[in-house]
Amino acid sequence: MSYIHFPVIAVMTLFMGAFLTVVFGRKSKAVRNILALAASCTAFVLICCLIKPVLIDGEIISYWMGNWSPVEGYAIGIGYEIDQLGMFFALITVFTVLMSCIYSIRYMERDSALDFYNVLFLMLSGSVLGLVLTGDVFNMFIMIEIMTFTSVGLAAFRNNKAGSVEAGFKYLVIGSIGSSMTLFGVAILYGNCHTLNMAQLSSILAGKLTPSTLMAFALMFTGLAVKSYIVPFHTPAADAYTTAPASISMVFSGMVNKAGVYGMIRLVYIIFRAMDKSSVQLLMVIFGVVTMFVGVTMALAQHDFKRLLAFHSISQIGYVITAAGLGSALGLTAGLFHAMNHTLFKGLLFLCAGAVYYAAGTTNLDKLGGLSKKMPKTCICFLIGAFSISGLPPFNGFASKWLVYQAVYEKAVTSGNIFYAFATVAAVVVSVMTLASFIKVTQAVFFGQLPASLENVQEVPALMRLPMWIMSALCVLTGVFYDQVNKWLLAPAAGAALNVSGYIDRMMGEGYAAEAGVVNIPVFAARFSFWNPVVWLLLFIIVLAAFCLAIIGSSGDRASISSAPADAEDGKYATFFSGEKSMPSHVSGSDLFWGFKKNWKGYFKVMDGIHSGRVNDYALYVVCAAALITVFVFGFVR
Amino acid sequence: MEYLKILFNILVFPGCLFVGAMGLLLSGIDRKVLARMQKRVGPPIIQPLYDFLKLLGKETIVPKAANRKVFLGAPVVGFAALVVTAALIPVLGYRAFEGSADLIVLLYLLTIPAVALIIGGSSSGNPYAGIGISREMVTMMSYELPLICIFLAVAKKVGGSTLCFSLSQIAAYQQANGSLIGCVSLLPAAAAMLLVIPAEVGTQPFDVAEAETEILEGPLIEYSGAPLAVFKLNTSMKMYIMTALFSALFLGGLATGVTALDVLIQVLLCIALTLICMTTIHAVTARLKIEHLFKFYWTVVAGLAALSLVLVWLGF
Repeated sequence: MSYIHFPVIAVMTLFMGAFLTVVFGRKSKAVRNILALAASCTAFVLICCLIKPVLIDGEIISYWMGNWSPVEGYAIGIGYEIDQLGMFFALITVFTVLMSCIYSIRYMERDSALDFYNVLFLMLSGSVLGLVLTGDVFNMFIMIEIMTFTSVGLAAFRNNKAGSVEAGFKYLVIGSIGSSMTLFGVAILYGNCHTLNMAQLSSILAGKLTPSTLMAFALMFTGLAVKSYIVPFHTPAADAYTTAPASISMVFSGMVNKAGVYGMIRLVYIIFRAMDKSSVQLLMVIFGVVTMFVGVTMALAQHDFKRLLAFHSISQIGYVITAAGLGSALGLTAGLFHAMNHTLFKGLLFLCAGAVYYAAGTTNLDKLGGLSKKMPKTCICFLIGAFSISGLPPFNGFASKWLVYQAVYEKAVTSGNIFYAFATVAAVVVSVMTLASFIKVTQAVFFGQLPASLENVQEVPALMRLPMWIMSALCVLTGVFYDQVNKWLLAPAAGAALNVSGYIDRMMGEGYAAEAGVVNIPVFAARFSFWNPVVWLLLFIIVLAAFCLAIIGSSGDRASISSAPADAEDGKYATFFSGEKSMPSHVSGSDLFWGFKKNWKGYFKVMDGIHSGRVNDYALYVVCAAALITVFVFGFVR
Repeated sequence: MEYLKILFNILVFPGCLFVGAMGLLLSGIDRKVLARMQKRVGPPIIQPLYDFLKLLGKETIVPKAANRKVFLGAPVVGFAALVVTAALIPVLGYRAFEGSADLIVLLYLLTIPAVALIIGGSSSGNPYAGIGISREMVTMMSYELPLICIFLAVAKKVGGSTLCFSLSQIAAYQQANGSLIGCVSLLPAAAAMLLVIPAEVGTQPFDVAEAETEILEGPLIEYSGAPLAVFKLNTSMKMYIMTALFSALFLGGLATGVTALDVLIQVLLCIALTLICMTTIHAVTARLKIEHLFKFYWTVVAGLAALSLVLVWLGF
């Protein structure tokens, strides 16, 4: 069987898994788990089989459903088209699905109605995979719809807990507004171009920005932005990520979110090929910078582990949108790299939050503390994730953020626009705030004092730790060997987005793109200036080794060094609490940054007002932002 | 031979030994001169070395509430990160590891020791340490904003309309065109950098994180013996690293090309910078509150740095 069938089979497997679970998985837990695992493993293997032809050999796979190939130059059938960009996101998707599936086996065991969970989960997975593989805008819209409604179900899954139904409802309302805008945009495009195929749309729309196509652009841009939760469309995300089970929060931030980002990249780079316009670049970068800043400042104010992670998710997507919005090869590479890294470290962090919830029964930062002694392995995974997202070298978050700064500042110096210089400054400051916020979580959850109620907490089962270890390892590896990641994954994906003619030709026949006047943008190899993590790591290890040798060498005659009083019940060795038995810290875990917050009182007050929790307000933001985007597009995009 | 050279670079010069010695020397001079400014006699200049050696011999106590591995590992990680960072900064003309890190990387490498201090303090489980790490973190947020503005201004000045974060390129530019401190547009940036140094090192009036009189050295409260010695050494080494970074960014034109002479000039520059931006400020000020520190850096210092960035952008 030829590999051209693999993509469609992968999507079908996931959907089939969902239906089989409905039929056979109602009674037996084992059958349910086996079905879910089998479906996600199959999808994973099938997509991995495509690495060789698509990413390494550079082939673009096209697949016409029912063999409805184009007739007289018009693509009527639904076509799947897998270029390197789609392949990159498909890899992210199947990896996330597999990790979440393994994790959920033990994590979800205390919940009821697990057959519904598996059905929704597999349908969500199938829809995201279909979204990134399809070459048809209407098919994309359908996948977005499935994605939205399964997400609603999953966000409200633990409906015995406060806020979950509310979260689901918010998601439903905002998500539907986004979907309808996308649908409206697709309809306008169909009316204009008489086709729904992305490749054909791309060649027809070349240089044809009439008022109606501009309207379609504005609507689809807004619709997809809603799906990637950039500010001001982020409001349902914070609630949904918090109330959904951790295995699903990880899926939300790992791939559902990325599906929106993918859609935006596909829209601006390929369907409209608008990324050479400085106005579109400005639009995306403004949205990106606002998103990263609002996301991180809101995260600083949170009291709940998962809600805090949710706001960081929003903030990190800001980096992706900023970098991808620069329209340069370096920028797109940086954006894609950060998107991938975000899947890894944020997925890892959500799994850690899930582990804490599983072990301690709460994710409230004010009630946790001192868990590093009870859950040392989770603590290590969490620290790796936290260091990655805060961009400490040599973890992967640093490599991608560093590329983002370079890309943004390159844009600043080459275009001479000082706005981009300040965007760079904002990106760095946001990164420091991210670090601050994770220090807070580390202190409030894993270090600090252990409350008496958590004395009996135990480490989570090995099956839950397995995906956490895999993702931690990847966080380190992709950070240290980022050159290889760039060579095998990012450069092909960025190249595919910037060279559209191959994509069009593959779908519509050789020479179609040239006939329509499509020109390729030359891709420069993304420049990595000076950061050699391997050298740095080697030096670091040498110093560490020398240090340890020195300690061993000197401790021969002096045994007192690092002597451990440990558990002696002697008051002399207990933690010093200024004479009292246990004086609680008057700075609670969640208020660690009052020095910062005091100076920003006004800002936080405004932000509190904006995040009112009323779905009417949130819908209003979406509509207003859509209006603003439309005005901007009509006013400036030429 | 190649490997021997690398080993020499990392362990002797400009790595471990050199940085450690420079750090101890600078803090010794700092203490001596500060004492003279306050009309005290002051300790001998090698007092920090005595302190270091004495602490090494003391008993190390790990508190019961602490996570033992993290508690003992944090100072070592901070130390190693600082040594490697120091090896990446050019000593005027002498560049040991050219092309393995640029300005932005340095900005992040400099956060690792601070994070090590925070994690170590945090793992001790002491409430004073909790307050200390909160202040340390806010201090970090305060000075990162001006620092990145300074770096971007320098990068724009040197690179023109190309992207330039490379320390070697900055050094080469200064050797050709004179030190960057001679540019009018970069003067505010240099002033801002001088103010960033004491916060980064954590000397008075910006030592809110360790404030002995209020929170008993914050993150260090539970540390004793060898780990404490290493943390103290880390602080001293930061004095060298930050002053060396200043001279690499703004005074690179003083390089002569003769390594021995360059090293001597670098040592003198570091001493001078320590006296200007740490000792003098220490002697004439009292400790700030954390919210005032934050405000000061985000308005005055960041304002200076941003002014520089705008001036460079306008072509001055």
